[in-house]
Amino acid sequence: MSEKPVIEVVGLTKRFKGLTAVNDVSFSVRKGGITGMIGPNGAGKSTTFNMICGYYPPTEGKIYYNGEDITNKRAYEYTNMKIARTFQIMKPLKNLTVLDNVIASCYFGHAAAKSREEATERAIEVLKFTGLYEKRHVLSKEMGTPDQKRLEMARALATKPEVLFLDENMAGLNPTETAEAIELIRKINESGVTILLIEHIMQAVVSLCEKVIVLHHGEKIAEGTPEEVMNDPYVMEVYLGTKSEDKKEGE
Amino acid sequence: MDVKKAVSGYRRNLTIVVGALLAVFLVLPLIVKTPYIINIFILVFYISTMSMAWNILGGMTGQNSLGLAAYMGIGAYTVCLIVTKLNWNPWVVSILAMLVTGLIAGVIFFPCFILKGPYFTLVSIAFAESMRQFIINSEFFGRASGVGLPFGEDSFLQFRFASKVPYYYAGLIMMVAVYAIMKRIDNTKIGFALKTIREDEDAAAAIGINPTKYKVIAVVISAVIAGFVGFFYASYIRYVDPDLMVQAKSTEFVLPAVVGGAAYVEGPLVGGLIMIPLSEFLRANFARVLPGINMIMYAVVLLVVIRFRPSGILGWYMDSNFKKFIDEKILKKPSLDVLEEYQMMNYESRKGGK
Ligand SMILES: Nc1ncnc2c1ncn2[C@@H]1O[C@H](COP(=O)(O)OP(=O)(O)O)[C@@H](O)[C@H]1O
Ligand SMILES: [Mg+2]
Repeated sequence: MSEKPVIEVVGLTKRFKGLTAVNDVSFSVRKGGITGMIGPNGAGKSTTFNMICGYYPPTEGKIYYNGEDITNKRAYEYTNMKIARTFQIMKPLKNLTVLDNVIASCYFGHAAAKSREEATERAIEVLKFTGLYEKRHVLSKEMGTPDQKRLEMARALATKPEVLFLDENMAGLNPTETAEAIELIRKINESGVTILLIEHIMQAVVSLCEKVIVLHHGEKIAEGTPEEVMNDPYVMEVYLGTKSEDKKEGE
Repeated sequence: MDVKKAVSGYRRNLTIVVGALLAVFLVLPLIVKTPYIINIFILVFYISTMSMAWNILGGMTGQNSLGLAAYMGIGAYTVCLIVTKLNWNPWVVSILAMLVTGLIAGVIFFPCFILKGPYFTLVSIAFAESMRQFIINSEFFGRASGVGLPFGEDSFLQFRFASKVPYYYAGLIMMVAVYAIMKRIDNTKIGFALKTIREDEDAAAAIGINPTKYKVIAVVISAVIAGFVGFFYASYIRYVDPDLMVQAKSTEFVLPAVVGGAAYVEGPLVGGLIMIPLSEFLRANFARVLPGINMIMYAVVLLVVIRFRPSGILGWYMDSNFKKFIDEKILKKPSLDVLEEYQMMNYESRKGGK
């Protein structure tokens, strides 16, 4: 048997009124690795993240972190457990500078800074690491999407997580920015952070992830290495199917 | 070193400017002896303090409270009742007044913060009005006619003076002290928590901030300050009645912050210093000519400011060439990079020293 998974979800289900957004999904995340989650829009990926991170209580199912049941933990308790996340729809602290955005993060979580100076020092470190240092005095609402995506990551990293959830951190980036983001994620992972990421850009998934989970209509339809998953006939059908649907909509 | 020199020069200039400003306020009662003018300044001091109490909620946390007058009223009633009925020293009772208002605020608003958005504003209005109704209908609280404080000879221990001047200085100290507290909060963990909550509650939770906990902290701080202002007000007017707690009063405390710039700790001070004398001037000069015209003119000024400067007077100042001029030519403010370097240098040497 391999070592215990850092995150394990069992039978996770979320129903919104009539709609079942996530249905009986189970999977585990290996400590130290990068796990990917893919699936067409509306498949239930973000909802799954929101349940694991304490934003939505699951209708059914359990979430384990290092073997401990954390199903009923609240979202604000996660950074104390060394888990951090980013949001698909970016939530920068708009009227604060980039530096202040990250200082705020440094004050909380398991490694909360004791003083303003300590917070500033750590924030500057994170900003250098994520390539935002030069822009630290800019108001975050005045930055473009690529920088706001970086800021999402910087803010999460400033809480010194051991597990990081990234929700579509590359959506809207051009190829150069995507390549930079891939490098950054690899660097974060190499520093010892376990990563679970939702991504649409296949290039990123293939180059980063050791394991991929595929969701469709709220159900897990495949799981395996990127290669295995890509060659799965059902996954191919879903992806080709949605691709031709997308085309029709675009026309 | 260059950085040190630049920063200490800037600090010295800033101290001189702030010191000069304070000096003006300190000598003012020696020059201006009209009680009418002194009274206007006392209004400026305590209304601006109330506005700072509002601003920690409305400006820093993004929770629009419209019931702050109730806490001021509770503070004032606590002082008047306990001083007259139990004959305690008013200074001691002022601490009690702060405890009472803080406790009431915490207990009332803890459950209400589970609801988000406008519910807080609605509860704050409903709370203020129900407190007022309760007092009007209570014999113990003196019903509609209120409770007075005993008159007598001047006594610092009783915080009782015939002249307005001692209240002027007490009010000034109160305002400056509350400003210092607010500035400190703004720069520390609590301030960052409150500002993060204002910007986005989900983002706040994501970094480990419990939104309910910090909103309750903000409400309690706000109420405690209002409770103390209630003590000041009761000692100055020597009387409190339920009219102090009407909705219009709560709104009056919002205006200085909004006009001055709710995003800034200094906003309520700037707004208070402009709006309160203006309001008094309009009342003194126009109310007799045509009753109500002063209110209309005041409303027009307010509309103009808010229409053209939603971020307040300080919001305009921060982007203006005027600020650039003051920073560069008068204060000789170093760049943000230099200030940051200085802060970090100090930090490193303190860390090294340990
Ligand atoms: N808070 C919510 N209330 C109601 N329905 C929701 C909510 N969040 C998501 N959904 C629905 O759940 C489904 C899955 O959404 P989501 O998890 O965001 O998909 P994905 O991230 O895979 O694109 C969608 O049909 C969406 O409309
Ligand atoms: Mg999504």
